[in-house]
Formats: sequence, C-alpha cells, structure tokens
Amino acid sequence: MATVQEKIEELQARQEHIEAGGGAARVERQHARGKHTARERLEMLFDADSFVELDMFVKTRCTYFGLNEKDLPGDGIVTGYGTVNGRLVYAYAQDFTVSGGSLGEAHAHKIWKVQDLALKNGAPCIGINDSGGARIQEGVDALSGFGGIFFRNTAASGVIPQISVIMGPCAGGAVYSPAITDFIFMVENTSQMFITGPAVIQSVTGEEVTQEELGGALAHNEKSGVAHFACADEAACFAKIRELLDFLPSNNLETAPSVEPTDDPDRQDEALVSIIPDNPNMPYDMKDVIRHIVDNGAFFEIQELYAKNVIIGYARLDGRVVGIVANQPRVMAGCLDVNASDKAARFVRFCDAFNIPLLTFVDVPGFLPGVNQEHTGIIRHGAKMLFAYSEATVPKVTVITRKAYGGAYIAMCCRELGADQVMAWPSAEIAVMGPSGAANIIFRKDPDKEARTQEYIHDFANPYVAAERGYVDMIIEPQTTRPLLITAFNALANKRETRPARKHANIPL
Amino acid sequence: MKKFNVTVNGKSYEVEIEEVKGGATAAAAPAPAAPKVTPQAAPKMTVTPKAAAKPAPAAAPAAEAKPAAAPAEGEHAITAPMPGKIVKLNAEEGQQVKKGDVLLVLEAMKMQNEITADADGTIKAYNVLPGQNVKAKDILVILG
Repeated sequence: MATVQEKIEELQARQEHIEAGGGAARVERQHARGKHTARERLEMLFDADSFVELDMFVKTRCTYFGLNEKDLPGDGIVTGYGTVNGRLVYAYAQDFTVSGGSLGEAHAHKIWKVQDLALKNGAPCIGINDSGGARIQEGVDALSGFGGIFFRNTAASGVIPQISVIMGPCAGGAVYSPAITDFIFMVENTSQMFITGPAVIQSVTGEEVTQEELGGALAHNEKSGVAHFACADEAACFAKIRELLDFLPSNNLETAPSVEPTDDPDRQDEALVSIIPDNPNMPYDMKDVIRHIVDNGAFFEIQELYAKNVIIGYARLDGRVVGIVANQPRVMAGCLDVNASDKAARFVRFCDAFNIPLLTFVDVPGFLPGVNQEHTGIIRHGAKMLFAYSEATVPKVTVITRKAYGGAYIAMCCRELGADQVMAWPSAEIAVMGPSGAANIIFRKDPDKEARTQEYIHDFANPYVAAERGYVDMIIEPQTTRPLLITAFNALANKRETRPARKHANIPL
Repeated sequence: MKKFNVTVNGKSYEVEIEEVKGGATAAAAPAPAAPKVTPQAAPKMTVTPKAAAKPAPAAAPAAEAKPAAAPAEGEHAITAPMPGKIVKLNAEEGQQVKKGDVLLVLEAMKMQNEITADADGTIKAYNVLPGQNVKAKDILVILG
C-alpha cells in the first residue's frame, strides 16, 4: 500500500507534468515565435505569486479518434484567479503547446467555470486567446463549448469588465468571444483574428492577403476597429492591461478606484489660453487640451489608431476616474462619421454601465457629408451617439472649446441629451450650422449679403446666444477649466437618475 | 481598351483590359508572373499585363490636375481622408520627410487639415496641385 508520502509525491509528479504543458520542444517553438506559454502569460498578468490555478487535472471525455488516449495536459488551457494591483481578477489562458490550444468540451467547461465565478464574485474576467480554433475531433461538443462561452460573455456584459487578449491565432467562431467583450488587446506580428483566413479568401474571392494584413494587430486597430490596443510585445501588452484595470471598477455596483491626487485641483493652466488658433479654420490637437486639464497630464487613450477624428479614453480629475470623449480637429476636421460614432457610442455605454462619469470636449463642424457616409448608414450609426448619451445616467459634463454645429453639437452630449453641466470657452461657436453657410441661406436674396454675413458671424458665431437660453450654463476662461470641472464632478458625485423600467432599450445597431 | 492599376503583393501592374464582343473565344494570354486575373463570369477579357508602372514622372505640365502616379514597390500612397480642396503643398518632390511632417494642407469641412507623413521617407511624387479638388481616398502623395 502506498504511503501518504508516496501519494504526495504522485501529486507533485502529476502537477509537474501538467505544468510542463506540451513539453519542452513545443514550448521552445512558442518562444521562438516571440510568444510566451499560457503560464508565463498569467505570471505577467497577475501580481507576483498571486495566481491560483483551477481545474488543472481536467481531461477531455471525447472518445472519438482515440482522443481520450492522448496526453493533453490541462486540456490545452490554464484557468484561475489572482490579483492585479491587489484587486481580484479571473483569467484563462489557452495553451498553444497543447493540441494547438484547440477548444474541446472540457477546455470550454474550464472557461465556463471561470466566467461563472467572475460574474458571481463581481470581478473582471480576462481571456488570453492563442488557439487554432475548435478541436475538430470533438465535433459538436466543441461548438457547444463556444456557444456557452458567448452566452456567458453576454450575460456578464455590463456587469463585470471583460477583456480579451489575442496572443496568437483566433479564427472562425472563436473571434466572437473577444468581440462580445469590452476591450480587445492584440500584439503586433504574433496575433491574428479573422472569420475566414487567407486561404479560404483566396479560393472564394481570389484576393491575396497575408494573415497579418488580413487580421493582424494593425488591421484591427486601424481599419476594422475590432481591437482597442496594439502592443509591441506581450510584456508591453500585459503592462497596458494592468494600467487599464486601474481605471475600471470590478463590477457595475462599484465605482472606479480613486487614487490620492498628486496634482493641484485648483491648478489653472495658462497654456489652455493659447491652444485654440485665432482662425477657426485652423486645426489644433485636442489631446493637448485634455492633457493640460487632467491630473498630471496623464491620458489613457483607447482605440488610438481607429477613427482618429474622435478621441476616447480615461483620465483622472482630482484622483477620480472620468471617461473622456472628444472631437479631434486635427483629423478630418473633427467631424463625426460612421466609425467615429460607433467608437464613441460604445465607449459611452461602457462608462455608463460601470459608473464612470463622462467628460465631453466639443469641437465639431458636423457629420461628415458624402454619398459613402450616407450609404454606409451615418443616420443609423450617428443615432448611436444620441442614444448612448441620452441613455447614460452617470454624471455628464460637456466643455465646448470651439465649433458646436448642428446635429453633431447635439450628438456631443448637449444639454438636452442630459448633460448635467455645459461649459463653453469664449472661442465657442454654438450654432445651427457654420455661420457663413447659415448666412448664405438666410440672406440669399439680400443685395447686401456680404455685410449681412459679417453681422451674422458677429451675432451668432459665439457662445452667448446659447448661454442666454440656458443651453450653456457658464462661459469660462480656458485656464479655469480644470478647477471648474473638478467642482462640477464633485457636485455630481451622488447623482441619481432613473429611466422608465423596461427589459432593455433598443439601440440602433 | 481600359487601363487598370493592379497591385499584387505590393507590386503595381498596369493592366489593359478589352471587352470582347460577340462571344468570340479570345485567347487570353496571361504572361507568367502576371497578376492572376480570374474573371468569375463573362465578359471575356484579354489581359495584357505590362511591366510595373513606376510613378509617372511629373513631366506633363498640368493645368489644375496632375497625372496620377501610383505607388511602386516599396512605396506607398497617402490618400485624402475626405473630399476637399488642396490649399498648399508643404514640401517638394524628392524631399526627405519624417513621420508626422506635414505634407500638404487639405481644406475640407472648413478646416485646414494637415495631411502628415505616416512614416519616414522621401516624397516620390505629389499627385495634386494647390487649388485642386480631390475626392476621398484620392492618392495625394507617393511616399517611398
């Protein structure tokens, strides 16, 4: 009969075998590709020695093709929980060294368990994807696995933050779990996402494209808008994820973590006075405006490479997190188009779901005109901005720095969409449309059109008309923006606003 | 005879395509190493690939529009993000530029939009002149 000591040794031997994943040769191949193993990645994600592994001994039950005879340590996935900067986070990491990280029934059930635990315990869930896709031998059980993951992703949406990390292939149906989650991180050159790969595309449409061009980090960060972050390597990626988590509450019942402020709340930044050019047709960098206002000039931008005409991201004001949406006059004049609307609207909804106050900076000449925009549905997409802002019940403060014209002014969280406080700089021009265009319509038959237009610009291209009607609460000197915003958000800290009870709203998609 | 620029693996080919009327079985002659042009259905075409078109030298004295150059291998195009009017060119052909340098100013949505280099390189060709109107995605500059 085996002694207890022998039994303990057996446990250790089994654990060691499983922890070795697919074996030294496959691990080496993974490293040669600039990739880390599942366990190494979890080490990078979590605080040192905080990771607790679950379901280490789980094996596939599939008997087709002798699959249960095969040695698949951990069934190709490592799952568990740990802390990130001291806060509980659940995570799973697919192990490419075991059967290519392919997803079978047991593999999926390990993911389900972590998703369920994360939801029950109100902690963020992070999925690290590196998988060849469904384990074909497991057939419909693999499909069932995917379905259960998507269902849980959806159930947890808006309850806990969900982050997907792509660190290898993520193809076919597997892409839809990341797609449902809140943030997607990709690593340049080693991660790809696509529904159908280059080979299928070539056979069907004849288009030739490489994996990286088709679904690499830059493709999804610049072109498709599927991903939110493109990182140079895996270490940089995990550093970025840890940084992001510091801005997010653990669940929808908490507020985002505050820090002890190290920047003076009363700081008046004179640089703000000279950022806006005197000529309203000249661009400037809205990120400069943001950095001069927020704590320590630290702005954590999201989707930096996509739809650059609108800027989204997190910063702190007096230590408290705010979600920032801003037009970028330097790119496409800062107008709203299909992609910018999608980008901003989804961000607004995330912030609202997780109790993150919204700060909006407005310098918008309008929605982008064009046949292409109309036919790709700018009506439908632009509507998301109106919908998302109207639906949001978190504190909403709007700062109009310059142009605020027409429908786009409304879409950028004007008073009527529920802005709690609207501030305008003296350079603001709040009007139904650009002043020369408006004058052209009003005075089209006037013989003295030129003089009338100049009068119109003087009378209407300013913030005073809107302020006289109370659409703007205050007209402020730019350097006072920071202290006034901090005061405003402090006043709104306990804001409570309710909407009629319903199952859920029907946002235009 | 219609001319098309076809880019295959980053290499640009000028391709002439002629529609054959009357259903004659035209002997398509795809040269080796030619771009694979596989028409899925009729019309039948004769495909005569020509050598990679280098960006046309800016010899033609353009009145208000310049002949459009296409990027050759190792070069890439900077395109118009939206329709507008070219206000000025901020550099010259042959000039070295750094990523972020302003290449030209495009007025659109009543804004002087600065179009910048997306990478370090040399300006191979300007496809536009000040005062010219451009459409979205028109090639403005070839950077190499």
